[in-house]
Amino acid sequence: MFGVFIFIWSFALISGTVMVWLLAWAIRRGEFRDLRSGARMIFDKDEPIGLVTDHFPGERKW
Amino acid sequence: MVADTKAGVVKGAPSDYEFRVEVDRSSKQVIVLYWAAALFWLTVASIAGIISSIKLHNPGFLGGIEWLTFGRVRAVHWDTAIYGFGGVAASGTLLWLQARLCQVRMPYTKLLIAGGLVFNVGILVGVVGILMGQSTGVETLEFPLYAMPFLVVPYVFIVIANFTMYFKKKSSHTYVSQWYLMAVTVWFPVLVLSAEACTNLGAVDGVAQAIANWWYGHNVVGLFATPTGIAAAYYLIPKVIGKPIHSYHLSLLGFWSNAIFYNWAGTHHLTGGPLPAWTITLGVVGSMMMFIPVITIGINHHMTMLGSFHLLKTSPTLRFAVMGSMLYTVSSFQGALEALRSHQEITHFTHYTIGHVHLGMYGFFAPLMFAMMYYAMPRLMNREWSSARLIRIHFWCTLVGTLLYGGAMCYAGIRQGMMMNDPSIPFLNIVQWTIPFLMSRTLAGLILLSGTVAFLINFVRIVTPHKLTWATPTMLDSDRDWKQILEAEKEAKPQHE
Repeated sequence: MFGVFIFIWSFALISGTVMVWLLAWAIRRGEFRDLRSGARMIFDKDEPIGLVTDHFPGERKW
Repeated sequence: MVADTKAGVVKGAPSDYEFRVEVDRSSKQVIVLYWAAALFWLTVASIAGIISSIKLHNPGFLGGIEWLTFGRVRAVHWDTAIYGFGGVAASGTLLWLQARLCQVRMPYTKLLIAGGLVFNVGILVGVVGILMGQSTGVETLEFPLYAMPFLVVPYVFIVIANFTMYFKKKSSHTYVSQWYLMAVTVWFPVLVLSAEACTNLGAVDGVAQAIANWWYGHNVVGLFATPTGIAAAYYLIPKVIGKPIHSYHLSLLGFWSNAIFYNWAGTHHLTGGPLPAWTITLGVVGSMMMFIPVITIGINHHMTMLGSFHLLKTSPTLRFAVMGSMLYTVSSFQGALEALRSHQEITHFTHYTIGHVHLGMYGFFAPLMFAMMYYAMPRLMNREWSSARLIRIHFWCTLVGTLLYGGAMCYAGIRQGMMMNDPSIPFLNIVQWTIPFLMSRTLAGLILLSGTVAFLINFVRIVTPHKLTWATPTMLDSDRDWKQILEAEKEAKPQHE
């Protein structure tokens, strides 16, 4: 029983520490600096903003 | 174009289109396997759900078969829904989306395929174990312990693949969907291992075990299914309509507030139970704080769609994604309010909770997984969905079935709770009063299953070679067609500069 408690608390401590480290790492890396261009990273030259990329099959109209 | 064979960034100088194709194709076998398995388990879960639903208004139904008694078949329904469909569909979504957002080839594909097969064998072992009467009796962890290694080990492969892709990503920015996907891979193993230790391995007893059980039961939905669904929505809605997220700042606030508050809410499931009052209060406070991520996500989804709602007519992906996003807001508001003691006085231990769970799982999570499949499968298979009609049938069955289920159960639950609070009404009268609603629940289940069958037919036809009906693919070569059309238009029309 004691061993299981040690396991659970160690696990929780390590996981929590990793998450805090991850947040600090992300801040240092500048992940939250340029959010405007971050929001646009799913678009590119071939699928730019303004292009609708899904239609019912056989019903695509231009 | 040159590409690494193992988890490498695609090298050379390909166009964005070639990049996407290369990345998508690298994940084809893994993702198709995962999603095909997920749809199989969804069908099993639906059939098991319908059987258990029929038993509620017709107790003699299949009453002579011991391995189909309510206690067994209902556990099979939930565990195949949450692990078979939810776990496998979410894993496929996680891997495909991460590869796309990182713009890297999917690594360790053979390992992921082997892991996917083992995981599905594990679910099968668990289902057989439950049907044989070897359920653990712990809600959401009913699979016998001997099935768990089959489920845990393959997940390690998914975690490794996810982190490998992330640390090799091409962009220096982490997109909001990636935050959710990375978090899921950290949270889920912690949840499962801790909960198994505290319940089935017997680290704690009695009330503490119930707390651990509901801490897990609540979080497996909120810290596994929900983040994957939101990650899908944050990719699909902007991508399909061609418009960035309304407020990217809010989207990140939503992620971190979800990460901080969701974990505390589980004990609200035990309101009225023999727990220390502070543990329940903690759950209620955590639930109230969930309004922050829910409102931020709701605002973002709605405001991003503003001005683009007409596209719901023409895009199957968008239909399912918007349905899922809207019902996320509805079911999350409902869930947060449900935590209040005054609310629980009426709705606890009634059909209301069942209605809420289905609005969340089949109204929010499942449609977003369907949306992801509708978007990705043509790109993976280089083949179009064979029938627009079957897609429409699937959508309307999903929407009508979910609303009928959620509406009937929530209304019946409120009335049932009010009657149960009135000591002058005999309990049997209340049970009899709910029977028409239990029948409508079976009807809703049949409608949802019909939609799943329509989707399965389309899925089998896109995976297996067949004669295509449509000459024009959805967007398989969209950018190329689009460029050609734009160039043709430019040539046809004089430029005004």
